[in-house]
Amino acid sequence: MILSIYRRLKNTLLTGVVCTTLVFAMSSCEREAVQTLPQREWELVWSDEFNGTAGNAPDAAKWAFDIGTGSNGWGNSELQYYTSRPANVQLDGSGKLVITARSESYAGSGFTSARIKTKGLFAQAYGRFEARIKTPTGPGIWPAFWMLGANIDTKPWPQCGEIDIMEQRGQQPSVTHGTVHGPGYSGGNSIGKPYALTSGRFDTDYHIYAVEWGEDYIDFFVDNFLYQRITPEDVPGEWVYNQPFFLLLNVAVGGNFVGFPTTGTPFPQSMYVDYVKVYKQK
Amino acid sequence: MKKNQSINNVLFLLVGITTLIGMGCQKRDITDLQSPSFPNTAEVFIDDFTSDLAYAAFGTSDVKAFQVDNQVSYGGTRQSMRFDVPDANSPNGSYAGGVFLSKTGRNLSGYNAITFYIKASQPATIGSLGFGNDFGANKYLVTLSALTVNSNWKKVIIPIPDASKLTQEKGLFWYSTGPENNRGYSFWIDEVKFEKVGDLGQATATIINGVDRAQVSYVGVTNTLDGFSATYNMPDGVNRTINLTPYYFKFSNTNPAVASVTENGIVTTIGGGTTKITATLDTIHARGSLTLNSAGAYVGAPTPTRDPANVTSVFSDAYTNINVDYYNGYWAPFQTTQSADFQVGNDRVLNYTNFNFVGIQVTSPTVNIGNRSNLHLDLYFPDNINPGATFKVRVLDFGANGAPGGGDDVSDIVTLTNPALAARTWLSFDIPFSSLPGLATKGHFGQIIMEGTNISNFFADNIYFWSNPVVPPVPAPVPTRPSANVLSVFSDSYTNLAGSDFFPNWGQSTVVTQIPIGGNNTLRYSNFNYQGLQLAANQNLTSYQFLHIDYYSSNAGTLNAFLISPPGSPGGTAPWEKAFSLSVPTAGWHSIDIPLSHFTPQVALSSVFQFKFDGGTGSDIFLDNIYFWRIPPVPTVAAPVPTYPAGGVISIFSDSYTNVPGSDLNPNWGQATVVTQTPIVGNNTLVYTGLNYQGLQFGSNQDVSGKQFLHLDFYSANSTALNVYLICPPGSPGGTAPWEKAYALTVPTANGWNSVDIPLSHFTPQVALNNVFQLKFDGNGTIYLDNILFR
Repeated sequence: MILSIYRRLKNTLLTGVVCTTLVFAMSSCEREAVQTLPQREWELVWSDEFNGTAGNAPDAAKWAFDIGTGSNGWGNSELQYYTSRPANVQLDGSGKLVITARSESYAGSGFTSARIKTKGLFAQAYGRFEARIKTPTGPGIWPAFWMLGANIDTKPWPQCGEIDIMEQRGQQPSVTHGTVHGPGYSGGNSIGKPYALTSGRFDTDYHIYAVEWGEDYIDFFVDNFLYQRITPEDVPGEWVYNQPFFLLLNVAVGGNFVGFPTTGTPFPQSMYVDYVKVYKQK
Repeated sequence: MKKNQSINNVLFLLVGITTLIGMGCQKRDITDLQSPSFPNTAEVFIDDFTSDLAYAAFGTSDVKAFQVDNQVSYGGTRQSMRFDVPDANSPNGSYAGGVFLSKTGRNLSGYNAITFYIKASQPATIGSLGFGNDFGANKYLVTLSALTVNSNWKKVIIPIPDASKLTQEKGLFWYSTGPENNRGYSFWIDEVKFEKVGDLGQATATIINGVDRAQVSYVGVTNTLDGFSATYNMPDGVNRTINLTPYYFKFSNTNPAVASVTENGIVTTIGGGTTKITATLDTIHARGSLTLNSAGAYVGAPTPTRDPANVTSVFSDAYTNINVDYYNGYWAPFQTTQSADFQVGNDRVLNYTNFNFVGIQVTSPTVNIGNRSNLHLDLYFPDNINPGATFKVRVLDFGANGAPGGGDDVSDIVTLTNPALAARTWLSFDIPFSSLPGLATKGHFGQIIMEGTNISNFFADNIYFWSNPVVPPVPAPVPTRPSANVLSVFSDSYTNLAGSDFFPNWGQSTVVTQIPIGGNNTLRYSNFNYQGLQLAANQNLTSYQFLHIDYYSSNAGTLNAFLISPPGSPGGTAPWEKAFSLSVPTAGWHSIDIPLSHFTPQVALSSVFQFKFDGGTGSDIFLDNIYFWRIPPVPTVAAPVPTYPAGGVISIFSDSYTNVPGSDLNPNWGQATVVTQTPIVGNNTLVYTGLNYQGLQFGSNQDVSGKQFLHLDFYSANSTALNVYLICPPGSPGGTAPWEKAYALTVPTANGWNSVDIPLSHFTPQVALNNVFQLKFDGNGTIYLDNILFR
């Protein structure tokens, strides 16, 4: 199956032009930038539409659970305990996966949530990786759609590499982040950019988050709008994005990236995932 | 917010991009407002008042709290608004508060929030801020409560719940707040304007505070919806909740035949059935609902009729209630009982749901119920009464200290059994204090506690303590006995014995007076312990049969009446007096006829000279119509004329029917009785004088098996025993030995002719009803008989 997402985008922008041209023309900014991208044709290789009975867990053939608090809050001083309970992760019966962060005492933690991954079930190098998501919000809420190198067990992070297709801080409901972590540029020194909506918020409707990943580039999109390209020249260390990566979806509470939740943080907070799709270039 | 710069760069970048795809170049687009009939000016106060703006301070607030400040402002503008909150108890006003009004009204329908910057001279909590206060109906009032501020400027966003309502809003901004720890301070507000904020999220709303409430209702009951709120997630991810008026909501009603809902949230039940009231705020479905289960027409508790002078009311629309702390104490942690009180017309009703126990408290102040004798409650159980259901009422007195605790609290509890608990009908309970012996003191009534088992819901009304009036509201009944048969001691209806001393000094505390009640002279004993009554002369009562007394006491616990003979009187015996216990307290006048035989043998009825009453503990007793009387030896009227159709009657002795011919009214069975017939007021009557026994032989054997009753009229002033027998010939088939059976008649006939209908089944199986031939009487005295018949 061939999808022409790019063609749709192209038609929206500049009909009849084979190459899509984005013009950063700003009356109020004194900058002008032109970026030219090659046309790409995609073929769907893996997907989950999250169809299923309400209350069921996501398809076990596609997703595995991370359970517990990991090491040092999954390396980030996160506060939640990940479970596989329907209260934290379930299908809603309407084609959505729901991951819910709750404020509740559980196994020594003050919050619960869920994190699922395709590790050991699916991984791919290069292609288009996208998901349609309505994110949660609130100070200390940290939703993410991201990838890790499938060799993580032999090449520990950050050597395995990490591509964060979507990360958000709940106290900034209009801003999303696209980031890569690798050897020499991980954690606070990671390479990435935020993207903000001009009007509206990411928690009020679904948005499509994607990367298009090739041998020497990773392009970050929101709603098929390219907002960032990262190339080997952009990273101060080794370019480790040349081997298969697996997918992760989670909602963290607290942690280094987002800070503590506050008394004003609304709980529970749910991330709704309409689908996850992975393509390879035709 | 150190990320601000980079985010702003991104925003600028994106603004540029969006230009390409046809969107405006402003982050917040306010260009497509609907065409207004009122100005849609966004600014309220930027550098100064907008042209249509006026300020009005709230009453009792410090009217000078607000002024324009040109020293402090946000973002380098010229001026800001400064509010000086007064100290507590400041003579200028106790708080700061006022309204910024648009003189013309504005169309705000194109905005979704009012925003401003605020800082204060110290950390403080601003009581209330908002808009929609127009110094009028405040129809679209929105309130943000308890906003924390400090000495740094911060932006505040108050969302407009449904801006389409605000097409001509005059209430642009209002505030109200008091001092912090009794000390005043200042706060500044600047850049006040309406905006279309693009990054508000996750709007939710509630009615009834988000609770799904279900309750029983009736036609005429009104419920006022409350607990209206709306919550929005602010651009910093934090939820902010505002309170708002029902006018912002659109109400849904699943069954409009059951209830109606006004736009201000008043739900009136108009029919029977079930309906559910829900609401939407703009496009948001509000959490919370009201389900009414209407039983249709409401039947209220019976309206109390007691004189308010004799009532201490806790809850009733019929009386002025005492000051009650609460009708539901919500006593944590074990009480589950909730209140869902309702009102039908002017009738307020307590409605307790999820009932286990509930307390009503009266401590400000406690109330003396020592002058009351009963607790009244009207209760209604809307659900079926479950097996094992019980309902108890405890009454507490807080003792001399008038407060709970202190070791002087007393109480007692009673289980309500009369009437038996029943569903869906008002039950009226009157609990006499005599059934609450543990309530030893009553000077500081403080609580009523109701406890239930297997009862989840009940209504209560007319909870009050009452007493009968101390002074009878009406005179004693007027006696009707002919004076010829009466020997009166104290009555307006007869000539009394002369010279009686109603207040002899026997060392008693009692004070005796005579007072007119309804024009009728009545004997009053106040502060009663005991009291004598001295007759002028010894009286021979042997020709009398009864002592009649009318008495009344709302507060006596014991009352005994004595007749007394002079000690040593022949025919009497020590102690020459005897008590008769009178039932007290009374709910009204009680009339009693005590057989004089009760007082024998102690009292010599041939020589009585005193009465005595005792048993009092300071109570009030009212007496009237104290007289001795007798039944007239000869009837003064004829026996009542029977009205049974002649075709259904077999008559033995009656002027009203054709009697069985040939009966022998005086067969010689060896008796002492003398039988005569005498006309009484022209009606032939059978008289047995000196009865020992007496037969009556029918003229022929009678088959009375088709009849139901043996009817006869009888009268005797002096008989103390009288039986009647029906007899069949020995050996009659269908009968059995002794072929007769007695039936006892009540004598003497204190109230004149007595008519009796004896079921003939009484005489079986001894008597063969198809073959009866005799009657027999035995006993004593002089007996008058008439209308002896089968019917």
